[in-house]
Parts: sequence; structure tokens; C-alpha cells
Amino acid sequence: MKLFKTSLIALALATASSASADTIAITNAKVHTVTEQGVLDNATVVIEDGVISAINPDSVDADTTIDAQGKNLTPGLIGSMNQLGLVEVSAVSRTRDAGEEKADITFDASAAFNPYSTVIAYSRKGGITTNVVVPYGGSKMFKGQAFVADLSGDLDSIVSTNSAVIVDLGAKSKGSRAFEIQKLRHKLEDAQKALAKAAEKAKDDKKSEKEPKRDEKIINSLLSGEKPLIAYAERATDIMALLALKKDFELDLVISGAGDALRVAEHIATAQVPVIIGTIGNLPSFDALHSSLESAAKLIDAGVNVIFAQSGDTHNLYQLRFDAGVAVANGVSKDNALAAVTANVADVFNINAGRIAVGKKADLVLWSDDPFELSTKVEKMWIDGVEKSTTSRHDALRERYTAESELPRAYTK
Amino acid sequence: MQKFIPSLLVAAVSVALTGCLQSDKQDEKVEINKNPYPSTYQSLPSTNTLIRHATVLTGTGERIDNADVLMIDGKISQVGVGLSADGAVEVDASGKWLTPGIIDVHSHLGVYPSPSAESHSDGNEATQPNTSEVWAEHSIWPQDPGFQRARAGGITTLQILPGSANLFGGRGVTLRNVPSHTMQGMKFPEAPYGLKMACGENPKRVYGGKKVSPSTRMGNMAGYRMAWAEASEYKRAWDKYEADYAAGKNPEAPARDIELDTLKGVLEGEILIHNHCYKAEEMAMMIDLGKEFGYHSGTFHHAIEAYKIADKLAENGNCAAMWPDWWGFKMEAYDMVQENVAIVDAKANSCAVVHSDSATTIQRLNQEAGKVMYRANDNGFDIKPEHAITWITANAAKSLGIADKTGSLETGKNADVVLWNRNPFSVYAQAEQVFVDGAKVYDRFDEKYQAKSDFMLGQQ
Repeated sequence: MKLFKTSLIALALATASSASADTIAITNAKVHTVTEQGVLDNATVVIEDGVISAINPDSVDADTTIDAQGKNLTPGLIGSMNQLGLVEVSAVSRTRDAGEEKADITFDASAAFNPYSTVIAYSRKGGITTNVVVPYGGSKMFKGQAFVADLSGDLDSIVSTNSAVIVDLGAKSKGSRAFEIQKLRHKLEDAQKALAKAAEKAKDDKKSEKEPKRDEKIINSLLSGEKPLIAYAERATDIMALLALKKDFELDLVISGAGDALRVAEHIATAQVPVIIGTIGNLPSFDALHSSLESAAKLIDAGVNVIFAQSGDTHNLYQLRFDAGVAVANGVSKDNALAAVTANVADVFNINAGRIAVGKKADLVLWSDDPFELSTKVEKMWIDGVEKSTTSRHDALRERYTAESELPRAYTK
Repeated sequence: MQKFIPSLLVAAVSVALTGCLQSDKQDEKVEINKNPYPSTYQSLPSTNTLIRHATVLTGTGERIDNADVLMIDGKISQVGVGLSADGAVEVDASGKWLTPGIIDVHSHLGVYPSPSAESHSDGNEATQPNTSEVWAEHSIWPQDPGFQRARAGGITTLQILPGSANLFGGRGVTLRNVPSHTMQGMKFPEAPYGLKMACGENPKRVYGGKKVSPSTRMGNMAGYRMAWAEASEYKRAWDKYEADYAAGKNPEAPARDIELDTLKGVLEGEILIHNHCYKAEEMAMMIDLGKEFGYHSGTFHHAIEAYKIADKLAENGNCAAMWPDWWGFKMEAYDMVQENVAIVDAKANSCAVVHSDSATTIQRLNQEAGKVMYRANDNGFDIKPEHAITWITANAAKSLGIADKTGSLETGKNADVVLWNRNPFSVYAQAEQVFVDGAKVYDRFDEKYQAKSDFMLGQQ
């Protein structure tokens, strides 16, 4: 029996990326739309050409029908702020592509994204279908730009690039935090002046101006609000400084980390700045003395738009749903927790997923039970309407070492 | 390296010169104080308590529904259905679950405390590959707020270990998780010391990077073997001194060596090995290393590949302390399987432990064990909560050499108890009340029982 199971896994690994253009209907599901529709019981979701084409249609005529038996169907979870696809083994330098000493605001690491990384198949076990990847960058304040990738494991995994600018602010082991906030403000001011001057000049002599440099263009896209600025910052004073920048330059600002956000929750809510937080970080630092497990609930109650990101090593990304569960245990509603790992992320990074609605990418997960519970597992998942396996190398290792064989383990494949 | 040899020579010469006097008079015997920093732990004020109508996981593999647990004078007095006790405070635990206090065999609280600061980074004496002379207890900052966080997660006992930079990192110490402003005030009375050893990547990276040995895994093994060879000589010298003295002679004591004292303690079975070791082939060699020098190879920590040698671990009586799912951060953590703990556990006479090595996950060790149970059950195992709880209670106590004192709800054991709001293997589980030696040390709903470290006091 064990040998049979092993070969099934081999098969699953081999066919993990088989494409399908057929229509699929998932019937009798408890559908968590993460829209105003809320939760729909006994609902049907139809997938066609990789997108959700209908919800509860009058009649269903699909090539494949899957009876969900009343189980939970949610949008695929969206991870963020990690290095998925850019790191295979963190301590093996030749498998790391997220850092680059010379990286600046133009750094786009998406060309290094490896869809065959074992971390991707493993992360699918956590119901993750899409991920916002951020580079480490180098020693400069700007770490480069985020990109969005799906977890299909296919060569065309990249969904969008240059999705947001990453800037690292706050506590410094050398120097003063004030310097970089000042530098950021100066950069924005200078760019704003240059744009005004260029516009003036263009009006006067109608001659085409010389094209701005790459980094200048990116700063300009921040000023125009085309591109979000994700700022790592923890302390309330840093957050307030960022809110002031947002106001002065009309930035599309997102704050990541935000351990001390609770002190200034009303300001963040008023400014409508989303925050990306870990839900399990509750140990004091000098920048975030009072972070607690209840922070997520209190921020949401204060009206802040919250995204949950798994903190720590990228390999732990699959635990995102458990972190959402911890937030629920500490006061966040289940609906808000689900939004914090789906729709809220999609909104900030302009991803056409994260909700179960007609026209959205068919990134869906059917769960054996409550998506956040430890006992629950992914029963089925689809990325762009294609069913994906959650089997990974880890399962193959388990099967090898639990199989009965007279030969050395190496012969069990 | 052979530091004690000169004094042995001196001793030999002095015995030769004064041989004729040996029967006349013995000098005072040189005794080594093995407990120079003794525990001053006192249990907190307690009342006799009867917790009623709980779902009880005893830590001995048993589950008793609608059960009562009686704690008298700091000990477990009775566990059963329909108990009563005159004068005991009664706690209605209907709908709640009750387990032994949770034990983490691998923590760096106090030695790598929060807030993370250079001044408090005291967990790795990474200055030479053998620092058996250092003791983690001498680094502990008892004001680490992490101790309070862990207590809110049901941790009643924990071993604080030095880091894994060195082949021999130094002694670990087992603590009661009670607030105290001294290390001694937390020290678990009569718990044996641990000796932290480390296999694999860390020592060879730290010292290889400094262009000193070890820079390879074979260098690691050579480093252990040279140290144990020296320790064997040291022990022999002391044994001879003891024997000669007992025979009425007047021998000169060997020169004291603090580093070798620790290794000698291991050879004498008084100090337990706690070995950071990920890989199957390395654990197999560490088992043989123990046999080569006559000590037990103890508990393997992290043990990512323990599942590959589960039979060997069980046969040799090694505990393996593991994470449910950490992996990939380095090469030796690449071959993780989520069922590692369950595969190790499935063997007869095994000792599977779930550990944290983290100030964050120590707060939810129950859930860490739960993840293992559910993933294993998804894949052909049939593990019940009453069994999974042993990975963070009884087996952990066995690993630390304190199974006679804590780790299960058996009559006469320390009343270390956690009352949970629900099945502790749920993501929504929270510890509501925590007892150490029968004294309430934490109550989720009563600020009186929520301690605060000096560091947090008065912070704006």
C-alpha cells in the first residue's frame, strides 16, 4: 500500500502543472466571497478560462463538477513581504537572489524568480495561491521593487512587476533614523521641483525635455500615486513622519511592520494607510514596546486596513493561515482575518484576485474545514482555474522513510 | 590542552618525596562543589485547589473526560471523576481542557532576551570551539519579558541552553517559569545540568570563518574526540585521587579545570547531553561517539532528519526534540518532513519531543505539537491528543531528567498544571490559568496574576 501511495505522489508531482481550458463548477460549497455578498451557503462557483465566470448561475453546464459537500471555499491566500522564489536554502548563497549590495530603487528581482523552488509547492499546502515578493536589496534606503507571482510552479508565474517601491526606515544600528526620513523627504521634494520645472519649461518652449533617468521615473510614479510606497517602520514617531510625507506628497503609502501602530491607530485610519503586520510578534523591541497579540484586533477596530504577512523565514509562508487563526483567537473576526490574507492584499497591490466574484482570477481553495484551524488541510486548490497539487518533496521523503523495503531507502522512489 | 598534566606530575613527585609520611596524616580532602549557585526557588503562595469537570490529558497517555484534579500542598493529590476536598478552592472547568504544565527543552529566553540588544546578547561564547566551562545560567537576564509571554502560553518549565556556535557550547540550566529577579530564584531544584553540543554547519562555519579548527564536519568530530579524550584523562586523575585518599594515602588533588569539570560530569552521568544535530548521518556518529567515550548521547535537538534513523534513536534511548515544520533556512534543515515527530514517536521506547528554540513559538508549543498530530493523521497515523501532549510534557521531562518531578498529572508529582479554554491543539486555544507547584502563576482574566518584568514597568 505504501509503495502504491509513493507512486501516486510521483504522479502528482509530474502532473502538477497540467493545464485545462474546460469549465469547472464547484457546487454545494460554503463560499467565502470576501465581498459585500459575505458567505454563501450551498453555493456554486463556475470557472471558465481561468476566471470566475459565474456564482450561483441558474443552471450549471460544466465539463467538470466538483461537489464541495458543504465545505469552505475561499479565495486563494495571498502572501506578502517574503522572498518566495528568490531563495531555496537561506544559508546557501548561490540559491539566494533577493539581496544585491548595489541595489537601488530600480532593483527588480523578478528575473530571478524560480518557479521550481521547493518552497513554492510546499507553500501551496497553506492554501497560498499568489505572493507579493520583496527583495532585500542592499545597504541603500530603497531596497528595490516588489513583484507579484502566483504559486502555479509554471514559468509564467509572474503576475506583475515593479508593483511597489520598498523603503527601509526606522531603527538603525549605525547612524540616526532621522537622516533617512529627511533624505526621503528631500528626494520627493527635489523630484517634485524638477517635475514642476520641466512642466514650466515644456510650456515655454514646447521642446521635448530630456527623458528622466530610471530612478527619477520611479520617484515620479510615487508622486503621481501610480505606485505604492511600502515603508518598513515600527515606532509611532516613524509612522507619523511617514503619514506627514503621505499628506505632503499625496503618496500611496503602505506601512509594513508597524509594531507600534496602536499608539497612532486613529491617525493611520484617518490617513487611510494600510498596514502590513505579523500577528504573532508580541515581544518588545525599543521601537515597539507594546506590541501584543491583540494589536491586530485593536487596529482593525480603530478602522485601519490591515494585511497579515507571515513573519520570519520565507519557508514558513505556508503558516500564514495559522497566524490568521492566532489573530482570531485574539479578537479579530474570522471574516476580517480572511480579508487580511486575501482581498486587502489584492487591493493594495492591484491583484485581480483575493475575492470570489465574477471576473476575478480563479484562485480558489477548498478546505477540509475551518481554513485557520491546525487540523484543517487544503482539499483542492486552483490557480488561474487550473487545479494544483499540494504535494511536495517533503511528502516524497516521508513516504520513502515510512515504506517497507528490503533494499536501501534510495531504491524507494 | 592537557592542562592538568603538570599538576599531576607535581602530585606524583610530591607523593614520591613524602611517601613515608602518607600513613601518618591526610591533608583535608579536596572536594568539588557541584552546586555553587544553588536554587533559591520557592513556590509562590498557594491554596489547595480542586479543578472540576475538565477534559484531562494526564501526560501518561490517558484522557479522562469530565475529570477533576486535586492539588494539595503543591503536589498532584488525585486525578479522577467526582472528587471532593474540604477546604480546597474549587474551579469549574466545564468545557475546558487541563494538561500538565508545558515544558520546553530548548529555549534561549534570558540569554537572547527581548528587546534584542547587543548588551543582552549572551547566548554564544563564540570565542573557541570548546567552551564547556561556560554556564548559560550565568548569562540569564531574569527580566526578559519573554518569560511572561511563555507563561501565558502554559510554559511552566524550560531549559535555557547556550547557542550552537561551538562544538561544546556550555551548560544549560532548567528553570521554573516563575518571575524572579535572580536566576537562582527560577532554578529548578535538583534538575540535572545539560551540556550543549552542536553538530554540523554552525561550528564549522563560525570557526572555519576564523581560519581555525573546525572548518569541516571531520574537524567537528576531531574536536569532540580530543575533548572527550582529555576529559577521560581528567576523570581518571580524579578517580585515582579519590581512590588513593579512600585507601588512606595522602595524594595531591589534580588541578581543577572548570571546562573539564563539565565533561567529567557527563562521563559520570550527572550532566545530560543536549546536542544540536540535524542530520541522520551525524546523529548516528554522535551516538557512536558517546559509546566510544562511555557516556550517553542524550537528546538530539532540531533533529530534522530524525525520521531517517527513528529505529536507531529508539534502540539507543535517545530523545529527539524537534520542530513541527521549520525548514530550509540552511542545508542541514532541507530534508524536513512534517511528520518527523510522529515517525520518531511511532517506535517502541522512543522519546519524541516538540521544542521551540524561539521566544515566539514557545508561547504556542501546544499548537506546534498539534500541527504534527494533524499532519501525521492526514498521512496514515492515528495519534490522539492524549498522546500528542506527551511530546511537550512527559517526554520533555524525561529529556531533562526531571520526569520523577513533573511532566504528568500523577499523584505526588509537582502540581504543574495548565487550564485551557478548549482543546489545546486548536489554533484558538489559550491558556487561562497556569499553576507551578500548585501555585497560580498566571490567570488570563485576573491582572493580579499577570506578572510584568522590570523592563516593562513604567514604560510609556
